[in-house]
Amino acid sequence: MRPLAAAIETKQLTKTYKSRIHGKINVVDSLDLHVEEGEIFGFLGPNGAGKTTTIKMLLSIIYPDAGEGYVLGKEIGDMSVHRLISYVPERPYYYEHMTGLELLKFYASLFGINDQALFVRLLEKVNLHRDMSKTISQYSKGMQQRVGLAQALLNDPKLMFLDEPTGGLDPIAHREIRDLILSFREEGRTVFISSHELSEVELICDRVAIINKGVIARQGKLTDLLRGGRVEVTFEGVTEQWLKDKGMQDSHVRTIAGGVLLDTTEEEDINSLIDAVRSNSGRIVSIVPRRKRLEDLFIQTVTDAPAQAAKKTITVEGAN
Amino acid sequence: MFRPIASIAATTVGEAIRRKVLLIILLIGVLFLVVAPGLGMLSARSETTVLRGMMLGIIQLTSAVIAIVLTVYMIPNEIERRTIYTILSKPVQRWQFLVGKYFGAVAALLMMMTLMTSVLVFTFWLQQRDASAIPDLIKAPVMYFVQMSLLAAVAIFFSTFVSPLVNFFLSGGLYLLGSLFAPFFQTLQESQGTPQAAKIFAQLVNTILPNFANYNIQNPIINPGQQIQNESSYYLQVTIYGVLYIAGLLVAGTIVFDRREV
Repeated sequence: MRPLAAAIETKQLTKTYKSRIHGKINVVDSLDLHVEEGEIFGFLGPNGAGKTTTIKMLLSIIYPDAGEGYVLGKEIGDMSVHRLISYVPERPYYYEHMTGLELLKFYASLFGINDQALFVRLLEKVNLHRDMSKTISQYSKGMQQRVGLAQALLNDPKLMFLDEPTGGLDPIAHREIRDLILSFREEGRTVFISSHELSEVELICDRVAIINKGVIARQGKLTDLLRGGRVEVTFEGVTEQWLKDKGMQDSHVRTIAGGVLLDTTEEEDINSLIDAVRSNSGRIVSIVPRRKRLEDLFIQTVTDAPAQAAKKTITVEGAN
Repeated sequence: MFRPIASIAATTVGEAIRRKVLLIILLIGVLFLVVAPGLGMLSARSETTVLRGMMLGIIQLTSAVIAIVLTVYMIPNEIERRTIYTILSKPVQRWQFLVGKYFGAVAALLMMMTLMTSVLVFTFWLQQRDASAIPDLIKAPVMYFVQMSLLAAVAIFFSTFVSPLVNFFLSGGLYLLGSLFAPFFQTLQESQGTPQAAKIFAQLVNTILPNFANYNIQNPIINPGQQIQNESSYYLQVTIYGVLYIAGLLVAGTIVFDRREV
């Protein structure tokens, strides 16, 4: 199988700002990022971690101080790549006097596109076709976000940068935006999402990177990063000691009302244990998987591993 | 190459004509133009002279305030509202953005000055019932338009690296200096009795300082006794000077803006 090409590749990308109090600060420090084509990539980090700075560097809005970066195979700063990418900034503001349709016409004109049918089709896609004659000032936050996504689709981009696409939206708008992002992947686009909405990211992203204080602390497939959850199994008809004697690693056994509770990792061979319990005339009362959540991983990464000490990138890659 | 410039300019006009502060300044200017004939009658000097001077003064002052207020916020607002990010993520170069914003500002100025000039002509005709003086009267707003285009370029240039408040005083200050003191430095430079060091200084200031005084042609219009020699040639020369100065400011602004982290 042909290996997937990189939509984004950075090597030691660094951005430094001068502060009167702290001197030079590496807002983004030696960033090694790898985003494959056709995936939804979550770029996570607390406020001030360097997410937006990274996006701005990749879009050539600001300039890196060191390192290299490639977007769709072209070095950052190459304007030709801007025909193939799009960007929706965090809390976007669009010219309020324009209608949704006029806004699309304006952004399309920057590409030299003038296709009324395309504008209507895109407004239909983001479910704004009934509101295309309303001015942006009459749009709700969710509608503004959707018109932002419509303008980002004008050039049929291969790669989309979405900065906090669901920030400050209500649950219905959340779901609408999430469905749209998923449709972008189905259309073969690469989507690079910077977000705080971890539950959202967990639902839609293929791979993520967690950046903290300008340094990538973790990067990899979501399924690999979230491996290592726990399982709680409640048994009847066996004793606490009997279970302990089975010698399961990283497990806790205690007697509770109605049975004995075993708390173990999902990597342990639960099936063999269940078989043994049954052959010993025991009974399984319940099995409750406690899956590792992205939120736990995020908090653990940000709080337990101070960025200064963890300059070395921890990369978890699963087999393709 | 020019399509993005035209689109950005058109959007800038759309925004400018909806800015309440500009519309209020314009309204005040128009109101003063309408009441000017009444005020002119109070003067002891020739009513026509006072009326012409007052009306042209109102147009010039109002246009200058509009030019500065319109342009000092132009780039900082785009950065603050993050609209610039969406635009620069498209295939738009920074110079195209800057030039588009400038031409948008000039087009908005043209619309507002055209409105004021129309009010001037109508009010003047109502008062004087003399259509023959109108073509001469219109020459001044035309030259003011070149002057305001130059002022807008100065403000756009400064807006690439200073805050709107600082820009307001810098552009306003330069406008006053260039309007009031440029003739003084020119006289100093050309005078026989001026020491060499002062001449060099005057020449330096004259070269750097935009000569806004070139466009203050109201005196020959107000006082029919005064005349500009080779009038057409003079207008052509000062217009070319203005266009070259504007081009220089836009190039300098682009160089600064290209390096700026937005």
